[in-house]
Amino acid sequence: MRALWKVLAAMAIVVAAPLAAKGDPLPTLPPYAGAYQPQGMDERGLWMMVDEDERRLRDSKAVVSDPKLQSYLHDVVCRAVGAPRCDSVRIYVVRNAAFNASMAPNGMLVVQTGLLLRVRNEAELAAVLGHEFAHFELRHSLVGFKQKRSATDVMAWAGVAAAGAYTYGGTGAYNTVRTAQSVQNAAFGSIFAFSREQERQADLLSMAYLKASSYDPRCFADLWGRVMDEADATARGRRQRSTRYDRVAFFATHPATLERATYLRELAIAMDKSGEDGRARLDAAMVAWRPQLLADQIKLNDFEGTDYLLGELAGAQWTADLLFARGELYRSRGNPRDLVSAAGFYRAALEQEPSNADAYRGLGLAQMRSRDPAAADSLRRYLAMKPNAVDSAMISTLIQ
Amino acid sequence: MLLRLWVPILASVCLVASGSPATAQEKSGIKPGFVLPQRSARILLIRPTIKVGAQSTGGMFEPNADWTAQAKENLAVALAAAQTKLGNEILIADEPIGPAATTMADYRALFSVLADSVIRYQFFVGNRLPTKKRKDAFEWTMGPGVADLAKGTGADYALFLFNEDQYGSTGRKILQAFAAMAYVSVKSGEHKGFAGLVDLHTGDLVWLNADLAMGGDVRTPDGAQKRVSQLLKNFPGSSQSAAPASAAK
Repeated sequence: MRALWKVLAAMAIVVAAPLAAKGDPLPTLPPYAGAYQPQGMDERGLWMMVDEDERRLRDSKAVVSDPKLQSYLHDVVCRAVGAPRCDSVRIYVVRNAAFNASMAPNGMLVVQTGLLLRVRNEAELAAVLGHEFAHFELRHSLVGFKQKRSATDVMAWAGVAAAGAYTYGGTGAYNTVRTAQSVQNAAFGSIFAFSREQERQADLLSMAYLKASSYDPRCFADLWGRVMDEADATARGRRQRSTRYDRVAFFATHPATLERATYLRELAIAMDKSGEDGRARLDAAMVAWRPQLLADQIKLNDFEGTDYLLGELAGAQWTADLLFARGELYRSRGNPRDLVSAAGFYRAALEQEPSNADAYRGLGLAQMRSRDPAAADSLRRYLAMKPNAVDSAMISTLIQ
Repeated sequence: MLLRLWVPILASVCLVASGSPATAQEKSGIKPGFVLPQRSARILLIRPTIKVGAQSTGGMFEPNADWTAQAKENLAVALAAAQTKLGNEILIADEPIGPAATTMADYRALFSVLADSVIRYQFFVGNRLPTKKRKDAFEWTMGPGVADLAKGTGADYALFLFNEDQYGSTGRKILQAFAAMAYVSVKSGEHKGFAGLVDLHTGDLVWLNADLAMGGDVRTPDGAQKRVSQLLKNFPGSSQSAAPASAAK
């Protein structure tokens, strides 16, 4: 019965939340005490599991091993959430081109490279990392675990009630089965509703961190705006219907993106605070990694989404690495018209950066497929500039 | 989109336990013709994966740090005792640092895939791959590179262990009783594990034993002994007729 009450209470919170969210002042920052240790059976159990996971992740090849990048991200977390707090997280950059980050209950913060490619400035990155840190600080994994356990307990009992009614029949059996199914559905739905509420809380706390930080709080909503546009572009390219951003699906673990963008924008406006965006620092930290991240993105086989993303990254100024990436993108789709466009992008990249050997390679391959006799010359230049390239033998066979 | 760590809940959704999974399932295999050198084998124990906890009423795994710590201790003692009886020496690997740690992580991951493949494509007779259909065939390898794990230890074999115990909570047991009254079978508790021995010179898997329903309470020294005898059933060089594989406690 206690469990049922918990579920009902959780549902009540969820129903009430959007109403309360209207004039919701930001939460005050929780008091911080260093080196938190897990308390109680459930929390210690969860930490034990993720401690083991973290050992595995730490030694995994999926993790990008770059001390400079890692210390930069640590600095961003510190600038976002404040100095002593940030020392409780370990950051792991995982090579995964999808836009995501996650936080384990023990302070293991996983940042995917797809996030690093998409944030336009350091303030956006700080907002996302602050959101993840908020999950940690609010001990969301533990609370969520307990809620899921209560909800699944209710579901199991409702299932037994339905089975009993089915077996023993009686006049009220049909109604009992129907009611039990409703209870199961409600309990199952409450798991996702609870998760959405936690995400909202993490968003709010992240905004509170931003308020106390040197960053511009308006950036968080900007990020979500572009996420929606990119998803639209991807859907268009795949001839799929775009997601509805104004509705919450039953199984959604996060609030609808439009809703997030809207309340984050409102909060930022209410805060009436401007701040730095730290774009130069982010660009400097990512300059060594961007070619790799762009190459990973192109391999996602998402032409429209990637083209949108490249355009967003470029803004008013197409740099050589973005032009090169766009050339690779168009060449990978490979329609005759794409090859012409690709050759143009490679040439533009070479104008800015004549030492870019890979641009000559792409240019040559695009020209070759367009039956352009200039192809051999481009490929020769590639080989001359990069004689030890891994594909040099293969490229040489093309120009004989 | 900014996920948190997701605690699996799927198991809990299936209230009705599946009847009899894979009746014809085999539990262990040994490389044909393999003989463990008598009384001289040095076996490197790779950090075992051991999880112990409870099973909630709804069927979720509730990890328990104390039980897991007890089980780790008890299983280590029981394992050393069992191997000493066979005349083998168990070496506990130091935690690797630097590039060695990456190698170790790689091979631990590879072994879990390997064990999973053996269970799925060899032990499950109805699902055997064509190359695994010959009688007494047991040809699986991790490659000779696995020798890197033995550097400086002098070990000839590596032993991998996986053990997961979910003890049915009181709530789960009550649910089970009520469900039984409605003629629905609910499984309370889960006790599964596997153990494998890899030849560190060739990388070949020489023995694997997987059991999805084991007995013995790993939280107690006696229970852990029973568990180890089941985990090491048909271990090369042992002529033990292992303790009867009782169903889950």
